[in-house]
Amino acid sequence: MNFLQAASYFLREAVVGLARSLRVSLLAILTIAVSLFLSGMVLLVSKNLSRTVHEWRAEARFVVYLAPELDAAGRAALRAEIERGRWTEGLEEITPEVARVRFERAFPSLAELVAERGSGALPSSFEAVLKPVPPADVSGFEAWVEDLRGRPGVAMVDADQDWISQVETLLALIRGLGLALATILLGASVFTIASVVRLTSFLYREEIGVMRLVGATEFYIRGPFYFEGILQGLLGGLIAAGALGASHFVLAPRVASSLVAGSLAATFLSPAELVALVLFGGIAGWTGAIVSLSRESLEAPGG
Amino acid sequence: MIQFFGVTKRFPTGQSALDGISLEIARGEFCFITGASGAGKTTLLKLIFREDVPSSGQILVNGRNVSLIPRGKIPFLRRTIGVVFQDFRLIERKTIFENVAFLPRILGLDHGRQKRVAFEALRRVGLSHRMASFPSQLSGGEKQRVAIARALINEPEILIADEPTGNLDHDLSQEIVRLFLDIHLRGTTVLFATHDRVLIESVGHRVLTLAHGRLVEDRPSRRGPSPALNTSEAGSGTAESPLSEDLA
Repeated sequence: MNFLQAASYFLREAVVGLARSLRVSLLAILTIAVSLFLSGMVLLVSKNLSRTVHEWRAEARFVVYLAPELDAAGRAALRAEIERGRWTEGLEEITPEVARVRFERAFPSLAELVAERGSGALPSSFEAVLKPVPPADVSGFEAWVEDLRGRPGVAMVDADQDWISQVETLLALIRGLGLALATILLGASVFTIASVVRLTSFLYREEIGVMRLVGATEFYIRGPFYFEGILQGLLGGLIAAGALGASHFVLAPRVASSLVAGSLAATFLSPAELVALVLFGGIAGWTGAIVSLSRESLEAPGG
Repeated sequence: MIQFFGVTKRFPTGQSALDGISLEIARGEFCFITGASGAGKTTLLKLIFREDVPSSGQILVNGRNVSLIPRGKIPFLRRTIGVVFQDFRLIERKTIFENVAFLPRILGLDHGRQKRVAFEALRRVGLSHRMASFPSQLSGGEKQRVAIARALINEPEILIADEPTGNLDHDLSQEIVRLFLDIHLRGTTVLFATHDRVLIESVGHRVLTLAHGRLVEDRPSRRGPSPALNTSEAGSGTAESPLSEDLA
């Protein structure tokens, strides 16, 4: 029997097996669908969060506030130091006057407060446009910022990268928790599929005996059960992918105006990611079948 | 063809199913195995097609020690041995054709050839007209004939029958025995386990009698040497071999 003949036979028998124990098969399919749906959600949220953080990082501000006593020579030296930084793309000096205008524009109700304190109410600063900092460079970047903070004439360094790094840590935590949750759920799915395949193999125990009797190999005996597990996993994956697509289609337009929810639902999974999700279901189902059939009951007697 | 050398089979409980059995069955021989329930008939047969392994002793089938056959090769041994049971062991959800054509399908024959060889095997047992039926639609005798057709489909050198008439009335039993005799006449070695003494006496072939796991009597055939040993068909079994062309 060639591979195509065998695959065709296995598939046919797997479908019959699914139909024969329909309720428990549906349970297994739904379990894996729920697991993959939640895993897909974690993937979707993580993907959108990563994208958002990436955008934030691209727009991140880097401002070095200067101490009032810093003279022109010190200012020039500091400017040169910042410009030399390998992450610096551009630099602009903000004088106290420009800072005041910006402040009054942003907070009109507080304009009087600044006016009362005179021209030195707001400090001079250097605003730098930075290139995105690659993850491998983060520690070097942080050391550079700390070095700037310690320089004489620097009152304060305001780096958005600091809180973006904190958000990234939170993102990593969310990913880790999501991965753990997905692993637990998929473990439960594998266990469910293993139980269903085992039940099916129990229903077919007499047939398996006959198959052995006439000289069927283990490949031929186990093939339909492996296919049944794969089929359950793939069906669960398809349902999960469909449910994710439907959820996104319904929810994304409704939360588009919300800053947080909108950014979390801005993009959907790519076709490759969806295919991977479905295939992952198939692999989980296959694993369940292997786990189930590795037990003694299907082993050839007397071996 | 089949040789037992001091074969003992003990169950994990310590009880002996077979105790020091030594015997030899020649190619083309028809041999009854009889004894009361629990005498060890089924265990003896199971050892031949490696459904079980002996606790001690050796079993040679065609000169090969079956206990030493690797697990992965057991199916290939079984393809050379046809087995028929008292309870038929047909797959209820499959048609008669599918039941009989199971092995040709495993061996990769296309559907047309599967049909041809299944038809031929069923024709030999007189059931070629029931290919599309399901086992539940057949009588006990017909089911047993289907089981025999399934056992014959690969032209086995050895045909093992474990109480094949146990569920059948006298007339049907005679019919099944005639079928086995016919198969034997084509050169197949037949081992027929039964406790029906009347049936055994009516045929007159060699009889091995077991009691409490021991071989207590080995009565030779009253019919002279097996025909297959003296004819041109001896050991070939290809006179009307349904699979001989396709699986040679």
